[in-house]
Amino acid sequence: MLTPRPVVDIALEGLADAPMECLLDTGALRTRMSAELAPLAGIELAGSLTEEFYIGGLKTAGALARVNLTVTDGTDEFFWDAPVWFCDPWPHPFGLAGLEGFMHHFLITIRAYDGYLDIEPRT
Amino acid sequence: MTAMTISGHRYDLDARRVQEALQGELPEPITEHFIVVNGRRWPPKQVLALVTGLDRADFTTHQARRALTRLGFPAGRTASPRVRHAGGAAAAASSRSAHGQATERPQPLVEALRPFIGLWVAVRGDEVLVAAPSPKEVVAWLARHRQRAQSMFRVPDSEQAITGAAPQ
Repeated sequence: MLTPRPVVDIALEGLADAPMECLLDTGALRTRMSAELAPLAGIELAGSLTEEFYIGGLKTAGALARVNLTVTDGTDEFFWDAPVWFCDPWPHPFGLAGLEGFMHHFLITIRAYDGYLDIEPRT
Repeated sequence: MTAMTISGHRYDLDARRVQEALQGELPEPITEHFIVVNGRRWPPKQVLALVTGLDRADFTTHQARRALTRLGFPAGRTASPRVRHAGGAAAAASSRSAHGQATERPQPLVEALRPFIGLWVAVRGDEVLVAAPSPKEVVAWLARHRQRAQSMFRVPDSEQAITGAAPQ
């Protein structure tokens, strides 16, 4: 169901115990997640810059917040500051990790044939 | 109805009453023994306490397990009793016999997720820690039980949710 897709678990600042599964979306400029997560992480969206867009045929609105994100391999952690758009409604069961906010920070290797995904932080 | 005496109190219980008592509740982390109710694993003492209103100190895990298996619920134990597991909501194989004493076998995550379609889940490895209707409940459960998930997501409930494609 979920395993064949290139996904990475990204923890929002304030939600370290529940990293959100995010799909690596090379076609997405933004990094987007469900707006449901923002209050759980203590992220205030009131007064934020917002934009409307269509995703999967669904019109939605995203509110921008700069947040600290973390990925870990179980041993080492890498964290960075990123713009994330918190969207309502949000049709996906996962977040979308786009160029801005995620891919600009990593060297990413996907070998779908082998079921292999590697992300290496660009420090 | 099955009559049984627990901690000196007599109860007439059946499976439906147990299922009703668990509505709106989330399974706590499994340490060793579990009971399967509606495809989810529950600590036997949590279940019996909810059904009877008794304090958990009033009975043992084995008493709880015995009482619940008498009502037809499958019971099992985690593969390594000495290792603490947190599989509160992990799915149990539906093929287990009603009174079977199943020992947990690793199963692919995709199989473990099947009972939780449409729900938010927190997973660690191939183990579903908790499943709930909202991420708020999942996060609250993790905090309450001091558990750390590897990943949180909503289990897709349709092809549209998986692919993101617009409905035809």
